[in-house]
Order: sequence, then structure tokens, then C-alpha cells
Amino acid sequence: MSNIVLKIDNLHAKVGDKPILKGLSLEVREGEVHAIMGPNGSGKSTLSYVLAGRDGYQVTEGGASYLGKDLLAMAPEDRAREGVFLAFQYPVEIPGVSNKYFLKAAYNAVAKHRGAPELDAGPFLKFVKEKAKFVEMDPAFLNRSVNEGFSGGEKKRNEVLQMAVLEPRLAILDETDSGLDIDALKIVASGINKMRGPGRAFVVVTHYQRLLDYVVPDFVHVLSGGRIVKSGGKELALQLEKEGYGWIGAEKAGA
Amino acid sequence: MTTPAAGFESDLRRAAGAAQPPWLKTAREASFAAFAAQGFPTSKTEGWRRTPADRIAKTPFEPAGRPAARTGFAGKALCPLAVRRIVVQNGRVLPGGEGTAPALPAGVRVQALSEVLREEPETLRPVLSAAPDAKGLPFGALAAALAEDGVVVRVARHARLDAPLGVLFVSDDAESGRPQAAHLRLLVSLEEGASAELVVESLGLGKAPFWTNLLTQAVLGEGAALKHYRLQREGEAGLLTEAALVDVGRAARYESHAFDFGGALARGDLRVRLSGEGADCALNGLALVRGAEVVDRHTVVEHAAVGGTTRELYKAVLDERGRFVFDGLVDVRPGAQKTDASVYSKNLLLSEDADVRTDPEFKILADDVSCKHGGAIGRLSPESLFYLRSRGIGEAEARRMLVYAFGSEMIERVGLEPLREALTAALHARMPEAAEEAA
Repeated sequence: MSNIVLKIDNLHAKVGDKPILKGLSLEVREGEVHAIMGPNGSGKSTLSYVLAGRDGYQVTEGGASYLGKDLLAMAPEDRAREGVFLAFQYPVEIPGVSNKYFLKAAYNAVAKHRGAPELDAGPFLKFVKEKAKFVEMDPAFLNRSVNEGFSGGEKKRNEVLQMAVLEPRLAILDETDSGLDIDALKIVASGINKMRGPGRAFVVVTHYQRLLDYVVPDFVHVLSGGRIVKSGGKELALQLEKEGYGWIGAEKAGA
Repeated sequence: MTTPAAGFESDLRRAAGAAQPPWLKTAREASFAAFAAQGFPTSKTEGWRRTPADRIAKTPFEPAGRPAARTGFAGKALCPLAVRRIVVQNGRVLPGGEGTAPALPAGVRVQALSEVLREEPETLRPVLSAAPDAKGLPFGALAAALAEDGVVVRVARHARLDAPLGVLFVSDDAESGRPQAAHLRLLVSLEEGASAELVVESLGLGKAPFWTNLLTQAVLGEGAALKHYRLQREGEAGLLTEAALVDVGRAARYESHAFDFGGALARGDLRVRLSGEGADCALNGLALVRGAEVVDRHTVVEHAAVGGTTRELYKAVLDERGRFVFDGLVDVRPGAQKTDASVYSKNLLLSEDADVRTDPEFKILADDVSCKHGGAIGRLSPESLFYLRSRGIGEAEARRMLVYAFGSEMIERVGLEPLREALTAALHARMPEAAEEAA
């Protein structure tokens, strides 16, 4: 069996005084794609942010390891350098920082950590233009400020571009399908599929099943009330789409 | 009330004593009286409440003299591009200019003030015999009284200064090591249809306090255009007071870009009068303030004619115990209809101990105008920081990128590419983390 990339064990986390995750456990191995589905307020985004290291979340019990290391003890930049990538549900606009400068800074920070050669502006531009083809992104977006004035679809493409540039071993996609029309969804999904491979694992967090028509998961988990209440294969997603979340008997989250 | 005049009377005797026309002597005495009447500004003086001007009042300055060091300033100036540069060192214009400057175009004259006063003072009589309106500008009045040198730029009708002109004010310690003061004037006259770009830079190299007190006056005739870059990097103990009075004629355009990158105290007063119909001004500024530095920017734009435009944006980044004051008034006079003006001040606080006061303000005495203003004080966005860090960019680098992003908007407005590059490098060098890493 392949290596365990991510192991979440009885994870409890709260925001302020409010417990959100209440004993979540999950194991993800190399090459696997796991979908985490659940109603609003079930803790999907909290899980993504806790794994990426955002401030404001307090882990009260349990933990998570990444390739055997304590993931939650690492600074956000160290997680990224070690190969964890979060595609944001709401990518942040950063006026004044050009997209290509940002991508180069990120690439070189990660490359340096991995002992790979850093790239100067010229070679990097060539490299990133190739990657932009992955998501059918007009290279003009490389010269614009990070996400500034991008449409919803452009922002999500930019997230997948960053993933392609950083080549993570674990990619967490938080509601990457939200706000996309069907064409944009297909482009983004195709970008993700090109990244699939034996050395890389995905956790796809989504409310709706439709992304999973294009990014077909190996496993589907239902998150409800801060815990995984049901796991199955890809057919579970179809059943959820048809019948909703009610039949699971899932307790409604504290939303 | 202090007795401000006392310390400067001997300076006045010297400035007014040399061989010079009686009208100039009279003008100096009138300006000196204007200074004496206002006195040194204190924390109770209107418009100066937040300026620690006592740092000037309490320092026993001697008139600037020859610098002790011969090390020079080559390569230290930010402005690398000027094909012509005139250097004012410790209050004196160095003879001969610099480099292999080609001849000035026809109709353009660039001279030392001392030279003009010696050889053809009558040509400056119209501007020098009228004491500048120095209300609220005691140091401007003092410069008018005492300045013996400076730079005079005159561009005749429809002439163009074909390349930027650099004016470098450089200061360094004297043999005595004591605090020094230099009172200087910069006179710019653009006749009808004339244009020029000036890069005026202050560079402080010494350890002892050096006070540069500059009075700038510019007159733009009909359809004239002046781009006025002002780069300020005084030394750690450097003090700068500058009063700039600009008159913008019909359909003329004045553009100012002020960058403050150092100095114990930099107080700048910029007063622009849009005196002709359709006159236009754009005032831009970026200050990076840290340590115990104080940068104090006061601007007044007077819309005195129909159809004037003002676009003003000042930004400041405050770190450590730095203090920044912005006071921007647009004064729309009766009859100045179709005035279109905006004044914005945006500030980024990096430290709890930093202090910023911002006051964009309008006084409107016309009824058909479009006026907008706003002031903002913010901190680095935690969401942006996390986003950058989540891509592997270290925290210090992420902060640096965001500070740079905040400031770069002002640098991008600079039309001269080599200057833009030098400013970018200077902005990076002023980053808090850059200072820590270099230490």
C-alpha cells in the first residue's frame, strides 16, 4: 500500500468559543482523491484552514500529521514548502503585487526549501507561461496584480495555476467549484486532473456534487456536525446529489 | 514667546551686508521682520502643533561651511539619470556643475543664485523684491531674508528643458562637527508654453544636525508644464524645512512627486495657486517614516480661477515611533466654478508606537464644483499575509511585499524610468525587515 500523506486523528477545533470540528478522523494516501462533502456550517472550510495554518482556529484535541510530521506545529509557509497546498474558496486580492512576482517568490521559496535551483525572472516567466496553458489562462493575467479585479472563474484558475507552479504533494481544494460557470468548471477540473498522479493526493472539499463529475474521487466522505459521519466510493456523491443530506441522519451542524 | 530673531541677526547682517542693490537689502529686512513677527513655531502655533520645531529652535546652528570630509557624494544620490545636475553642498552651489552636460537648449538658463545676484540682480528684481506671502511660513520668510545661494531655473517662452535637471542638496559635517544651517532658495520660472522636469534631491551624509531651510518659488505661465520631483533623504540628525510656493497659470500643469525616506524632521509646506483658467495640479507623496523620525506635509491648493483640477494623494508607511502629519487643504475661491478636486491620504501603520494624523479638508466658496476627499489609516491585512505565507513565502518577506505594494503605487506614477528603479530600490532598503537583516 502507498504512503499515508495526511492523517487526521480525532481533530477538535474551535473558532473563538465555538467548537466546529468535533472529532474528525481521515487518512489520505498518495495518489488518492478524497472528496469531503457536507451541508453549510458542517466545518468544511474550518478543516481546510486548520490544515493550512490560518490564525484564529484553536485545536483543542486530536491532531494531524503530514508525511509523518506534526502538521499543526508548522508555520503556514513551512507547510507550503513541505508540499501542502490550499486552494482558497475566496482567493485574496493583493493590489500592487504582480501575479508573476508573487508566483516567482512562492516558487523560489519552495524551491529553496527543497534544494532545487531558484529561477530568475526570465526562465521563470517561460516556466509559468507553460503552466498557464494548464488552466487556459491568458498570460496577460501574469502582469496584473494578484487576483485584483479577476472574475470568480479567473481567481479559481489562478489558484490552480499556483498549484501547478508549486507542485504540492497534498492539495486541499476548498469549494473550488463555487462561483464557476460550466465552462470555467471544466477548465479548472481539467487543470486538476492533469495534476493527478501517484505522488500527489487531493482533498476536495465541496458542497455540490457537480465538480466530482469532472474530478472523479476515489473516496467520498460526508462531514456533518464537525465529524465524518459516512464514507464511501464515488457513488456516495451521486446519492447525496439525488437525495440530499437528510437521509444520512446527519445532525444539522450548529449553523 | 522666544526671541527668535536674536540668533539670526548676524546672519542677516552678513546676507544683507554684501554688495547688493538697495531693493534687495530692503526685501531681506522685510522678510526678516516677517519672520521675527511670527517667531519660532511652537506646539501652540496654528498649523505647527504637531511639528517638533523646537528641535530647530533649541539647536545652536552655525552657518554651514565647507565639509570636513572629501569623500563626496558621487553614487549616493538616488537620481542617477540627470544629464545635467547642479550640486549645492553645505549651502553653496558647487562651481561648474557636473559631468559632461551638453549645452542647455536655447531659452533655458540654469544658474547659481549667488552668480545671478552678483552679475545681473536686476533680472530677479520682480520676484525677489516682493516678499513672499509667508503667513504661517516663518522659515520661508527666514530663507527669503538670509539665503545667499540657491538655484535659478528660467525657461523662456515655448522653450523646453529637453532632459531632466537634477538639483542635489547635499550636506555633510563641517570641520567643527557642530550643527550647521543653510538657508537656500530655488527659483523656477517657466514662461508661456515652456516645460521642464526637475529632480530636487536632499541628501544628508553627516552625523551632526544639519538644517536645510529651503524656499522654493515656481511660476508657470500659460500652458507651461513643470514636473517637480522631490526626494528627501536627510541624515539621521538632518532637519529640513521647505516652503514651496507655486503659481500655475492658465491651462498650465504642475506635477509634484515628494518622497520622504529619512531625516529627523522633514516639514514641507506646499502652496499651489491655480491662478489661471483650466490650471491643473497633481500632488503625489510617499513617506517612509521610522525610528523617531517626523515627516510633516502641509499642502494648500488655492483654486482661484474657473475649471481648475487638483489630484492629490499622499501615502505614508509608519514604523517604530515614526510620526507623519498630513494636512491637505483645497481652498476654492469665489468664482472658481467647475473646480474638480480630490485629496486623499492613505497611511499604513506597522507599529503600535507610530503616530499618524491626517486631515484632508476643503473650503469651498463656489457652488458648481466636484470635490472629494478621504483619509485612511490601516494595518497590513492578516488575510493577505496568510495568503502569501500559504504559498511558502516567509512572514518577513510577505510583510515586505505588502508594504512595497502599498508604496509602489506612488512610484509607478513617476514617469522617469531610471528614477522609478532607484526609488524601488530605496523603498526596499527602507523596509523594516531589511534593516533588521542588514544589522
